[in-house]
Amino acid sequence: MEIIDLSTLPGSETRYTEFLKQVCEKFNMDHAAYAGMNPSEGKVAGHVTYNDDWKEHYQKHDLVMIDPTLHIAKRSIAPVDWGRLERSPNFQRVFRDAHDFGLPSQGVTIPVRGPYGDIGFLSVTRDCSKEEWRKLYAHVISDLQGMAVHMHDNVITSDDFTGALYHPNLSTREAEILQWVAAGKSQQDIGDILSISHRTVEVHLRSSREKLCALTTPQAVGRAIAVGLIGTG
Amino acid sequence: MIIVVDGLNRHLFSDVLDEMFELRARVFGERLGWDVKIEDGKEIDEFDGLDPTYVIGFDDAGNVVAAVRALQTTGPHMLADVFSAILDGEPPIRSATLWESTRFCVDTQRLTRGKGENSLSYATCELMIGSLEYAKAAGVQDIVTVIDPVMDRVLKRSACAPYDYVGRTVPMGKVSALAALVDCTDERIASLREFADIQENVFLEEEEALALFNSKKKVGPNVANRDHQPLTELEKYFVEQMHSARTKEEVGDVLKLIEALSDRFTPEQKTALLSTPRAFAHEA
Repeated sequence: MEIIDLSTLPGSETRYTEFLKQVCEKFNMDHAAYAGMNPSEGKVAGHVTYNDDWKEHYQKHDLVMIDPTLHIAKRSIAPVDWGRLERSPNFQRVFRDAHDFGLPSQGVTIPVRGPYGDIGFLSVTRDCSKEEWRKLYAHVISDLQGMAVHMHDNVITSDDFTGALYHPNLSTREAEILQWVAAGKSQQDIGDILSISHRTVEVHLRSSREKLCALTTPQAVGRAIAVGLIGTG
Repeated sequence: MIIVVDGLNRHLFSDVLDEMFELRARVFGERLGWDVKIEDGKEIDEFDGLDPTYVIGFDDAGNVVAAVRALQTTGPHMLADVFSAILDGEPPIRSATLWESTRFCVDTQRLTRGKGENSLSYATCELMIGSLEYAKAAGVQDIVTVIDPVMDRVLKRSACAPYDYVGRTVPMGKVSALAALVDCTDERIASLREFADIQENVFLEEEEALALFNSKKKVGPNVANRDHQPLTELEKYFVEQMHSARTKEEVGDVLKLIEALSDRFTPEQKTALLSTPRAFAHEA
């Protein structure tokens, strides 16, 4: 199943939850949650697939103030397996409550640092054996990193001020490579044309997709043409 | 042996980090002559305040002999800022699965030539293995690393040649700096491991790393004579005896004598004399 690009989904609030549900389905997770902190707005934006009871409880008890999956994961550049947070007293507090609402304490939080002091967290959970979790984790973590940045960039750019700052800034090389993709060349061809390794082509394409808030290369090409970063091929 | 220190566990490793900042001051300030800020013998910049991850290598005596710093390329990092000259004004690559590594350094004074443990080559390879395995476990696929030409050559000779470079080589201090691309694939890790002949796990648990790091303090002269009091006549006598001992038996006799006269000095003095006579002798 292909995940649908966030910006193509209708509606403003529900599309984020819809996206998180798709992430769960594609990566075999029970639940997914996103929280983003934007310094220009000074607030935390949250989107979750959890049920309303837990959402209500979480808000009523201000658990966001102590939730270690946010406050501790903020200090890591790598995804933080919740196993690393177990020793924190706040972990016990939040997850004892979560347990009462039928939520598992096995999960991972992926921190995303944006360029303007903005920071986002994509958390996913799965109730399964430790062994199964370890395997699943290794299998999906790279893709989940991409999902985390995609979600974060979309939430942050929906704010007018930060959106203006986030204008896609492609390098000459990235634009050049996208232009060749638009002209129908394969990654291998492009590597040969530009005398660079095809892995370099891939790295630049990954970067271009992220800068253009796109999940796939065709979407990135479409958007680059739309904003005039490359020609029509 | 490698320890990974990040914002979650750095409170446990402040002494280790200090030793790493001192190593960085020697490497980047003195040897490479980069324009870095050194205070109190430590090289620390604003990116160290952003909770980066450090991958740190110890030699088997517990000294910090190698280190590197990693940051996400989605947020603030050096190529987007202070190293922008390398990119010639172009915006940097931004990707969730690409990390930037900077301040890659090894202790050329302490490490030896050749390929054995505690050699420059071994420490470099071990640090690379640790960095790549840590990044791979985080789902990262590539690393863009800012290095000097000497380090670039070391990588090429260690079965870990960069697959490409971004931007250009720019003059920096006594040398120059460039940005190389390295993938975090099983193939690269395997080839590094084969080259360096390292098959075992390179990572230390937090407790193991602390024990190794702290073990070296115990053999220093400070512990042998922590109070810095002048040595007593009796202590001097033992130190002289230890100095002149030529065989194992003679050393054994001195130790026996210390034991026999142990009511003549404090338990601390006794421990110091028995456990580190050589360090003690050095002090005398």
